[in-house]
Amino acid sequence: MVAAPVKKEPFYKALPWLSGTLILIIGFVLWPTLELFLMSFRAVDISGLIEGWAGLENYRALIANIDLPPVLRRTVIWLVVVVGMTLALSLPLAQLMNAKFKGQKVLRYSIIIPWAASLVITATSFKWILDPYYGMMNLILKDLGIINEDVDLLGNPSTSFIVLLVVAIFVSLPFTSYVLLAGLQSIPGEVLEAAKVDGAGAWKGYWTIIFPLLRPAFLVAAVINAVYVFNSFPVIWVMTKGGPGYETDTSTTFAYKVAFGDQDIGQSASLAVGNFLVIFIFIMFFLKLSKWRESDQT
Amino acid sequence: MKKFRTRIAAIAAVSFAATFAVAALPSQAADVTLKLVMAAYTDDMVDYYDGLAQDFENANPGIKVEVDVVAWPEIGQKVKTLIASGQSPDIVNNDEFAGEAAAGLLYRADQIVSAPVLKDIIPAFLDNSKYKGTAYAVPDLASARAFFWNKQLIAGAGVKAAPKTWDDMLAAAKAVKKKYPNVYPYCLPLGPEEAQMIFTTWGGGNGARLFDAKANKYTLNNKDFKASLDFLKKLVDEKLTQPNPGKTNRTDGCWALFAAGKVAMVDGGVFLPDWLSKNGGENIDWAAGAFPHAKGKSDITVGVQDYFKGYKANGRQAEIQKFLTFLFEPANYQGFLKAAGGFIPATKSAGKLAEEDAIIGPYVKLLPKAIFYPGTVGSWQACKTAIVTYMGNAMSNTGKALSSMQAKCDAAHKKTK
Repeated sequence: MVAAPVKKEPFYKALPWLSGTLILIIGFVLWPTLELFLMSFRAVDISGLIEGWAGLENYRALIANIDLPPVLRRTVIWLVVVVGMTLALSLPLAQLMNAKFKGQKVLRYSIIIPWAASLVITATSFKWILDPYYGMMNLILKDLGIINEDVDLLGNPSTSFIVLLVVAIFVSLPFTSYVLLAGLQSIPGEVLEAAKVDGAGAWKGYWTIIFPLLRPAFLVAAVINAVYVFNSFPVIWVMTKGGPGYETDTSTTFAYKVAFGDQDIGQSASLAVGNFLVIFIFIMFFLKLSKWRESDQT
Repeated sequence: MKKFRTRIAAIAAVSFAATFAVAALPSQAADVTLKLVMAAYTDDMVDYYDGLAQDFENANPGIKVEVDVVAWPEIGQKVKTLIASGQSPDIVNNDEFAGEAAAGLLYRADQIVSAPVLKDIIPAFLDNSKYKGTAYAVPDLASARAFFWNKQLIAGAGVKAAPKTWDDMLAAAKAVKKKYPNVYPYCLPLGPEEAQMIFTTWGGGNGARLFDAKANKYTLNNKDFKASLDFLKKLVDEKLTQPNPGKTNRTDGCWALFAAGKVAMVDGGVFLPDWLSKNGGENIDWAAGAFPHAKGKSDITVGVQDYFKGYKANGRQAEIQKFLTFLFEPANYQGFLKAAGGFIPATKSAGKLAEEDAIIGPYVKLLPKAIFYPGTVGSWQACKTAIVTYMGNAMSNTGKALSSMQAKCDAAHKKTK
């Protein structure tokens, strides 16, 4: 399609219309980011007052922090497991939601509801379900005779992180499966028809036709999920506050604890800069992806 | 869909405009507003401060009082956030002062209450409010801790006398467990609320102290503390405690279980009886005594005192002094103590009355023997957080917890020197 030639207007004429967005971006994105970078090079006393410049001292303190290595390891596990499992579960879920059957509407609603609830509400619900003294889970497991002594999955360092992983996957499913559903719906019916005519079975048809066509949606879902999951604060904070000790902290909750627990805002800022760079890489990757898609479509 | 989108845009526009409108409101002339952030010892504190602020405003036209009563787990961070974001409160009541005094944020004690009030403060408490020799806070009240047990459960399990040593306690716990399988013999709260208290108390019973003032350093990673943690770990490993010490808080965890009769022994304090009577534990037949200690060591109690502090940031020294002096007027201060629920007063005059109180009296006499936190050390608050955090997971590896907290506390201490 050839567009009618448009007379090119000078850029400044667009400014009044862009000003709202620009103010928001500068005020809520650029300025705080700049402040964050500056803070990471500042000496901040334990009351949060700025004392002057610190050079690389905050970064040195961060690297020397004995709790950092396990937290970083856990953050990688968190990211890989939550994003990976979410995608793996969302593929069949999206397929199911796309299938035409009687309960389709009910299924779609029931999958989107956890998304509509705030993360804090979901996490609090799980926390109460798992409460060792008053929670439903212990009650049911006891009635079924599976356990005979109260257990506290969140209070035990060896199980609490697993519980957090499960909850994080649970809250990531709606968004991911809906993105994949949208991807599925954009696949033209003729393609599938043609594959069927050519004798491709269900399984083969899926891997050779559907999945490759779904790849753009899949990659977008993966990257956006990675950003969400990496930044995920409420699930961990509400359920365990990163505890016991630092046993369930990721770099996001750890940065918070360093700032407000250890009262070392400079060191926390240097960790936040690291977090920011990770997110930045994800975003760059995402932009690149959406560019690919644009060029695919033209 | 289109309609929906328009509506969202409209809402966004309105709330955006509202934000600016509020920001643009002219500030009220003449009236001075004192901003207070006060600890919620109990839920009664809100009503108490409402009444007190009203009385004060009536007596002092031109001064308005805005009180924010904040729960203990949040108050430290709330104050820190306010200060760091340039919205410093004028008066704060919580459990720390030295860090802020070191940073030069606080008025001196003699600037925030009148001379007669300052004279009436119990000297030992005022000494605990000094940073480098000068008092920067006024103690509001104090507490002392004690070991509580459920008489019915302990006697029912055939334990004759109150446990005096760790061995006695272990034997008592085993007896309770045997007789009452559904009762946790001892409740160990290592959750974020007050795990440093457990650390101080049980280490103290083995002769360990947190800070060596002479050497000016924290003394956490040593064999005395190690032995005390290992003793607690033994209780946990033998399933003589509740299943999740690292997550259990003192009040909503252990005390709630004690009030429900599901725990036989618990770490309590002078204010536990009051709490029990208000939280469904009025039928518990309890007794209190000294904490069990290691063989050959002496028993201790841990004293805790909290503070009133005045902040320089807004330059309201005269108003702060007026308000706090008003609060310390005998009737108002009695009301404060009553709302806080069963603490030890910080003034000599109120202390005399308390000595005659059946529940509080014994603690007032115990206080001279009490260990206090090193609250006058500037890095204590940061060190306390480290202790609390590592205690959460200390029962899986006591040695690692100790070396970690020592490292964190040393680092914090170096920063404030």
